[in-house]
Amino acid sequence: MATEEKKRAINRLAVSREFRALVDKMYLDGIEASRGGAPTAWAMVNWWQGDPILKAMDVVTVYPENYGAACAAAGAAEAYLERCETEGFPSHLCGYARNTLGYTAKMIELGEIPAEAPIGGMAKPVVLLSSGAFCDARYKWFQALGRYMDVPVWVLEWPTPGLKESAMEGVYEYTIEFMVRELREFVAFLERLLGKKMDWDKLSEVMDNVEQMFRVWHEANELRKAIPCPMHARDFWTCMVPCLYMSGEKESLQAYRELYDEVKQRVDGKIGAVADEKYRLLFAELPPWHSMRFFDSLAERGWNFVIESFAYHPPLPLDLAGVSDPLERIARYTYQVLAGRFHSALRAGEASGMVYPYLEWARDYKCDGAMLHPLISCRTATFYLMHARDRLMESLKVPSLVIEGDIVDLRVFDQTQALNEAEAFVETMEHYRRVREKEGLG
Amino acid sequence: MAENKGLARAKQIYQDRDKRAKELKAQGGKIIGYFCIYPPLEMITALEMVPYRILGDMKEAITKADAYLPTVVCSFLRSCFDIGMKGRYEFLDGFIGVHVCDQCEKVAHLWRHYIKHPYSHFIDIPHTVHDASFEFFEAELNTFRKTLERFAGKELSPERLQGAISIHNEQRALVRELYELRKPDPPLLSGTETLEIMMALMSIPVEEGNQLLREVIKEVKERKDGPQKQSARLLIWGTPMDHVALLEMIEGCGSNVVMDDTCVGTRFYGPDVKPTENLLKGIAHRYLKDTRCPRTFRETGGTYRADLENRFDYLKGYAKGWNVNGVILQSIKYCDTHGYEVPAVKDYLEGLGLPVLFLEHEYSMLALAPLRTRAQAFLEMIR
Repeated sequence: MATEEKKRAINRLAVSREFRALVDKMYLDGIEASRGGAPTAWAMVNWWQGDPILKAMDVVTVYPENYGAACAAAGAAEAYLERCETEGFPSHLCGYARNTLGYTAKMIELGEIPAEAPIGGMAKPVVLLSSGAFCDARYKWFQALGRYMDVPVWVLEWPTPGLKESAMEGVYEYTIEFMVRELREFVAFLERLLGKKMDWDKLSEVMDNVEQMFRVWHEANELRKAIPCPMHARDFWTCMVPCLYMSGEKESLQAYRELYDEVKQRVDGKIGAVADEKYRLLFAELPPWHSMRFFDSLAERGWNFVIESFAYHPPLPLDLAGVSDPLERIARYTYQVLAGRFHSALRAGEASGMVYPYLEWARDYKCDGAMLHPLISCRTATFYLMHARDRLMESLKVPSLVIEGDIVDLRVFDQTQALNEAEAFVETMEHYRRVREKEGLG
Repeated sequence: MAENKGLARAKQIYQDRDKRAKELKAQGGKIIGYFCIYPPLEMITALEMVPYRILGDMKEAITKADAYLPTVVCSFLRSCFDIGMKGRYEFLDGFIGVHVCDQCEKVAHLWRHYIKHPYSHFIDIPHTVHDASFEFFEAELNTFRKTLERFAGKELSPERLQGAISIHNEQRALVRELYELRKPDPPLLSGTETLEIMMALMSIPVEEGNQLLREVIKEVKERKDGPQKQSARLLIWGTPMDHVALLEMIEGCGSNVVMDDTCVGTRFYGPDVKPTENLLKGIAHRYLKDTRCPRTFRETGGTYRADLENRFDYLKGYAKGWNVNGVILQSIKYCDTHGYEVPAVKDYLEGLGLPVLFLEHEYSMLALAPLRTRAQAFLEMIR
């Protein structure tokens, strides 16, 4: 009975079940296709820079980062992490990376997918698609796989300008030009590797679907500004997966349309994701995948998580009506992921384009607090959280609760302690609510 | 009392790095601080400003940076930021951040926010050496040129830039000559002394550095009290070493450190800027392609062996040229670009028949002590 009540503390979107089914299908399709001899790529999450191209070239893509999370959840990661360490890699490297390195070393040693590998494992790929986006691990780790497999690696370039510099004359133009040239080289590389030509019409069609998906998904998230917030972060984390991993597919687009409709209905009916919304919170970085019930416990106390880290959200919409080259459309949208809010951040005098979205969202989504979740083995995700905490307080008087965790090592997150700290944080949120009112901060 | 020139002067500058920069500032000079080895110093020198490398301080406990940077961040960068927050770099007129690695990029943005200087600029650097990457990097350098010119109040003419390239190339040639003095057995110059000289060069104007190098080379060639011959002739590879403590410890255990592959040694001074009609093009090639650091992705060569050869063949040249018989790979904890590289570079060096030791450490004096036993055991093996 108690469990039933906990389940109901968050009013999950009905459509999220469809998303879960889509994700399961993605795994199964990938395994089936690779077993059937289809070319397979291992790719980093690349924020739609390489995925549409792989899709248009009929390459089945699997994501070792996502697989790392799956191994962690299935309890299989520890053996791979240990194997990685015996191979000589330092133990402080990214947990997902170490999982892949250990897994691959074992797979190559056995000559087949390890029997215990969760969800069928990852078959040996024909290409490794790295990305320069956000962290160094995401190109160094695939390079390091060369120790076990002679598989070509392609690194997608991801320009990372400074805020001030991004607004200087000519910078946007030469950055996009660079990205387009790099994508053209990537297409040529794949054509040589696969012995087939790019189907440009198919790529345009994929991009049409991607862009529509961005728009619908973005608009659904905009609806979450409503009070009470109709969609909890738990639904976001379930539903973000097709956008990140299955973009360009009609099924994904259709699922996001249904999601939008359901969220809109809730807004119209003033239905919240938490029955009695007392506190609205922002969550920064990936959640503790293995302890998601934690959010149900908080929902019982009226905590509604209304927005999350920007990097997992779709880019801000762009009007690309005059752009016919699909590669340029990809480049402009990918750059938009990073720099879409740069102008606003610059105007606000912020140091980092990666922290500014938290400020904008804490204000626009009327957050009472932020829960920051540093990930012990992910430097990139963790790097700015202290700065974010400071800026949220300095600029908006929004307090933060910092709870440590990890993406692979499940032991780091202590749910009982976290709930205790959350209890004390209620008073902090109440205090700063009064401060904000007094200072006219909304 | 030792004459204040040559090795003694290098040591003095190393021990009091900012003294000369502050003197120059007091005389109206402009001092431009920079991270890492990728900002093109020629452009700063050409506009009559002094490039000054921002480094950490292993002797200073990290206290202020902890409030801004998580402990899983590279402790070298945390130290840089820490002493920056404590006001140690207040004398800088400008700051140049670069996208060398993910962490260096992010620290640069925080630096600009919390440690204000009259001028700052951030240069993005591609990860690959594709044709388009050079053009993009060249465009970035051109954007850098514009802000630097505005700050200097001068135009960066081709003549000025060519002049600066020549002076910096001269310094590189002098450093190569200096490194030649480490080839004999015993070497004429220790690893510790070399590091002091390198650190001094990063703290004074390039022309003064060239004069210092001429003095040092002359002195070292003539002196009779150089390092003692040891059975181990080592190559040191890895992350920044801006303090002599680690080298003193390794040499103190009975070895000659005769060569390095670090960004405070050969990586910084190795390649020249080659003459090109478009000077920024030559600079872009030098910094992006010719500078060897794991942060740049070089195309794989088909097989693992070919890939290793493509990435590390220069180490074979170092090993042969300096008659190396052992290698210490050292890395500051939480450095991703070096961390992923370790098994591969170890495979390559062991393939050359060289024994290899990997030492990972925090950037602090205290963290070095436990490494002594491992270094001693390694050196025993070489003997």
